[in-house]
Amino acid sequence: METKQGKPTATPFKVVRLAASAALGTLNEIYYKELANAKQQGKPVIWITSMTPIELVYAFDGIPFFPENYAALCSSRKVAEDLCKAGEARGYSQDLCAYALCTFGIMFEKRGAFGEPPPDPDILIATEGACATHPKWWEAIQRHYECPMIIIDAPYTVDSETLAPRQKAYYVAELKEAVKSLEQATKKPFSMEKLREVVSFSDQASELWDDIDAMRAAIPTPISQIDVFTCLFPLVTLKGTKEAVDFYKQLRDEVKARVDNKVGFVPNERFRLIWDLFPVYHNMRLLNYFAEFGAAFVTDLYGNAFSGRLDSSDPFGSLANRYLSFFMRSASRGKAELYKKRAKQYHVDGIVFHSNRCCRNFTAEQPDIGAILREELGLPSMSFEGNMVDPRGYDDAQVKSKIETFIEMLEARKYPKK
Amino acid sequence: MMISQFDEAYRNRHKLAEGWEKEGKKLFGYFCNYIPEELIYAAGFITLRIRGSSENIELADAHLPSICCSYMRSALEEALKGRYNYLDGAVFPKSCDMTRALYGIWKRDIKLPYYYFLPVPGKSTDAAVDFFIEELQLFKESLEKYTNKKISEASLKQAIKLYNENRALVRELYNLGLRDTPPLSGSEAFAVLRAGLVMPKEEHNAMLRKLLPGLSSAKGSPDGKVRLMVAGNTFETIELLQAVEDSGGNVVVDDIDIGSRYYFSAVDENAEPLRALAERYLRKVPCPCKHPAEPRLYHMLKLAKEYRVRGVILLTQKYCDTHLYDRPWLESSLKNNGIPVLVVDHSDTGWAGGKFKTMVQAFIEMVG
Repeated sequence: METKQGKPTATPFKVVRLAASAALGTLNEIYYKELANAKQQGKPVIWITSMTPIELVYAFDGIPFFPENYAALCSSRKVAEDLCKAGEARGYSQDLCAYALCTFGIMFEKRGAFGEPPPDPDILIATEGACATHPKWWEAIQRHYECPMIIIDAPYTVDSETLAPRQKAYYVAELKEAVKSLEQATKKPFSMEKLREVVSFSDQASELWDDIDAMRAAIPTPISQIDVFTCLFPLVTLKGTKEAVDFYKQLRDEVKARVDNKVGFVPNERFRLIWDLFPVYHNMRLLNYFAEFGAAFVTDLYGNAFSGRLDSSDPFGSLANRYLSFFMRSASRGKAELYKKRAKQYHVDGIVFHSNRCCRNFTAEQPDIGAILREELGLPSMSFEGNMVDPRGYDDAQVKSKIETFIEMLEARKYPKK
Repeated sequence: MMISQFDEAYRNRHKLAEGWEKEGKKLFGYFCNYIPEELIYAAGFITLRIRGSSENIELADAHLPSICCSYMRSALEEALKGRYNYLDGAVFPKSCDMTRALYGIWKRDIKLPYYYFLPVPGKSTDAAVDFFIEELQLFKESLEKYTNKKISEASLKQAIKLYNENRALVRELYNLGLRDTPPLSGSEAFAVLRAGLVMPKEEHNAMLRKLLPGLSSAKGSPDGKVRLMVAGNTFETIELLQAVEDSGGNVVVDDIDIGSRYYFSAVDENAEPLRALAERYLRKVPCPCKHPAEPRLYHMLKLAKEYRVRGVILLTQKYCDTHLYDRPWLESSLKNNGIPVLVVDHSDTGWAGGKFKTMVQAFIEMVG
């Protein structure tokens, strides 16, 4: 791992793929086929933002479509830049969220990740659950497609660990209003029984995800950050279905076997890191560059954003608890405390901040979070600039050089020369 | 009463506030257009809008990435330089993502004795109003605990009356802009109204009462300037209004968050105070962070017609997401209604005056 000068060098290695990847590929295929055929089968296509309770969509037998997830797909298929530019050509600023710009491109140009565009929305649902900007771009989408739109207002708790009853009551009322609007738009009656079933599947998927997440604390850590990001698709899009539960059972078993046999995804794990926050979809291999120095990401909060326990005996109440207590909505102090806890549990040596240039919401607090972790835990950090979807302006050589400097520093801290 | 006195009151705002602090007055800072100041006033504070500046960013760089708006960055810069040390507390509403994030950042980096986050709903439905009343009740109780003094209904009603008076007086100022030859230029009117954000309302009212009678009889010069509206974000750079005037235009009305979106819409003095406040703040002309967005467009179209403007300068603060999402829609909607639009990317820190002037001159030539 070390040269004579003491500088660490990258050592490429063969990544062992998860067996569950094949199952994931099948799930993907089935989902996109169903999405493409939704209209023929009389199923409503419902475009939703992240932190929209997807459980409502499945309760109405709709097909959810996540423009954010789809923009990520466009990015990995290298078509996002053109789509973002098409959004900009219609007057949308390049500084806006690249998920949104890419979606505007899809909307105006009528093309998508595989050429054909995704089906037009029959219904739109947005919430400020994650970003105040979500309803803004949904409004723009609504003006284009002129279909019904539901905005679920999600009051912010910010620095409270517990959810106040009034906030819960308001959100539950918003959910029930959304149900009424969905009944009107789909011309189907709401079934509480169906919602309970969906909520139960959603909960099971989240529980399995949390198990997998906890197993990443093992030394060596069993799965790569790329696998974590890739395997998120069912938790994002299929949560509430039996298929997602089956997939995560398989994944959990595979990860557990690796842990039991002390198999790490990096041949020689030397450093354990936290990843904050968004993936770089156009260059996922960047994560492998860390691994080539024996640095493994052992935790992130991005994946956990999509997991949340629910209670099928109280569907609405538990949806409120889950979606309003979403940690990304807390102040920087709350996020830093989460990382502090994880830094200890997961035996972490440092944190890497992806300063996502199109996302103020989750980038603004990074300097303070880094400072808190440095001051209170002595945890070193590095930060690099990128854009989750749009490759423009991303300087791979510069980022890699930053990584090398960071690894060098970690090396000197963790393995000082005697 | 001279316009320059208003302008000086704004420019010397920190020095004046330090003076009030020495006199034993309690000062309370707030962000954004969605904080019912009346409640804070009734708790015994002077309410002051936290503003930024046009100065270069030095200290805030370490706390807030450069992709954040110049308003939030420069406001934090001011605080890090100790210029807001006179505040006894600060409140942040749920409006945009930046305001939410800055709450945590201020709380950690700027030591003030009291912080509060007000979860303002994103909608204006009856359920949202009811929810907001509950939130206001809690904010009220929190203020009472902090000051160790109950807020009486009478004091709340008195606060509502005072702030309504201020709105009514500023509205008279706006009415002057309706005339063919307004007695004040756009930059002068802006100087008058923005001073009201950073001084006690009693004082602003007293100054306005001295200023307005002289103006209502003033004729104004028939200068033939092209009547324009400025719409969009908050801004510090009053020079941009002067640049419009130097180019043969005059801003006679606005749709910005420290202008008509702040001063229009009174609180109902006959209703139960918290309900009246909740309704006013949720049902005033919305900022783009609230839903639905259409009432703001209607407000702009109405103003454009009433004030007979020949064009709109749509000014968006760089990196302001919520405004940037609405911009293409507002631009095309205004144009579809026969109103020419000049789209301007703005940043108070590092304002490109020359470039702006060139754009404005061309626009005025086109619509004039």
